[in-house]
Amino acid sequence: MSFILKNVDKSFISQGKELEVVKNINISVQDGEFLSLVGPSGCGKTTILRMLAGLDYPSEGEISENGEPVTGPSPNRGFVFQQYSLFPWRTVLDNIAFGPEVRGVDTEDRYQNARNYIEMVGLSGFENSHPHELSGGMKQRVAIARALANDPLSLLMDEPFAALDVMTRHKLQEELVRIWQEEHKTIIFVTHNVDEAVFLADRVVVLSKSPGEIIESFQIELERIRDRTSPEFIDLKKNITSLLEK
Amino acid sequence: MNKTIKALILPLIILIIWAILTTYTGIIPSYLIPSPSAVWVAFENLLLNGSLITDTLSTLTRVLLGFIIAALVAIPLGILLGWSKNANDLSKYIIGVLRPIPPIAWIPFAILWFGVGLGSAIFIIFLGSVFPILINTADGVKRTDKIYTESAYTLGASEFQTLKKVVVPAALPNIITGLKVGIGIGLMCTVAAEMIGSSNGLGYLILTATSMLDSASAIVGMLAIGVIGLGFDYLFRRAEMKINW
Ligand SMILES: Nc1ncnc2c1ncn2[C@@H]1O[C@H](COP(=O)(O)OP(=O)(O)OP(=O)(O)O)[C@@H](O)[C@H]1O
Ligand SMILES: [Mg+2]
Repeated sequence: MSFILKNVDKSFISQGKELEVVKNINISVQDGEFLSLVGPSGCGKTTILRMLAGLDYPSEGEISENGEPVTGPSPNRGFVFQQYSLFPWRTVLDNIAFGPEVRGVDTEDRYQNARNYIEMVGLSGFENSHPHELSGGMKQRVAIARALANDPLSLLMDEPFAALDVMTRHKLQEELVRIWQEEHKTIIFVTHNVDEAVFLADRVVVLSKSPGEIIESFQIELERIRDRTSPEFIDLKKNITSLLEK
Repeated sequence: MNKTIKALILPLIILIIWAILTTYTGIIPSYLIPSPSAVWVAFENLLLNGSLITDTLSTLTRVLLGFIIAALVAIPLGILLGWSKNANDLSKYIIGVLRPIPPIAWIPFAILWFGVGLGSAIFIIFLGSVFPILINTADGVKRTDKIYTESAYTLGASEFQTLKKVVVPAALPNIITGLKVGIGIGLMCTVAAEMIGSSNGLGYLILTATSMLDSASAIVGMLAIGVIGLGFDYLFRRAEMKINW
């Protein structure tokens, strides 16, 4: 699934004043590309992702998916929210099985599928827990599993690993790279963690402070799974970080 | 158990003070407040001649019927009003004006529309129950966190599936609150409801006892309504505890 953002501006009206959030965004994401968006807090990363998902609309410009304008949310575009978004009245298993459930997949199959993803995110044994019984990082892992279990063509992920410890974070990053390689999904991944962006993405797009504009794009050609200690990796991190610190 | 005992302390103290003020000192004359023992005697009489049980059952039937019809009308309507801004805007003034009207004021119309008897009584109780259920349901639906509905849409749910699988469960605590308040107000309407053509029921019991200056029997009827209310409250609290997510 490919995406094109063409001259996208977005403003919100808040307390009677117009607030410009992102400006003049032009990005073209190829089918199967892994793109990462980095930028300071409040620069409009979530806003861009929501517009791609069809949960918000540009004030100016156009967003298209496979050449068609995005007019609303679709199960082809899986979304992992920055905030907790699990259904609190559903168990872990039923949260993850939600997408297949509304598509009419029968109980046996969707539970089997959900269990696979529960195992993948390391939550075996918590199938029947409710979200309020989980820690922040565990909830976020369930949310990732919920998006993946629905097998979307593309994944829009908003700082999905922010609440995790380094070990789990690294494990899930590798898992995500593996899934992306196997299933050829297009992934747009928002993070404020430069290390994460460089580890994951084919291309890192750096946004400026609010109102967010694209400062620069970095194509990352390193072989996967990437070596965090290689000089190229460290150099890229340095370059991107220095841009963000300006 | 401990909590139950604690909750009984205050009623017991009130009972003792009541007994002291009436039976033991006569500070309050019996025509103002009957003594506990007089109420007990009235209770025994009403129990033995069977009328307390039949009155309780017939009131319970009316209240439950009125309440169930109210819930069947108010929950779907509340969901509609909470979900559709148009429906909400269109009905805002109608509900705003109808809601404060005391159910007792509807009695003349109740008689015209439903005749004297059960239908009218159920209608009056329905009027008492329907608005709290409606308002709380609509409110719960409106307050449903956007992130849940957005999650559902990005996972491929249709609007109807989102309503059924996300909005209604999210609003369930409010719906239960509405039911709890609704049945309470329904019970408060029993006296009004049983003013019209009823020949039994706790409201009828209170009305007839009052007209015969038998205040002890009236208190028995009042307490019976109170105990029914307590029972429903207990049931709804159990239901609330089940959804402790
Ligand atoms: N619905 C809205 N109404 C008004 N203002 C909004 C709305 N959504 C976002 N904003 C504003 O837009 C700006 C960008 O928000 P956004 O959430 O996209 O930032 P972000 O880059 O994701 O930040 P963070 O890294 O902290 O998550 C902020 O100033 C925010 O206040
Ligand atoms: Mg954000």
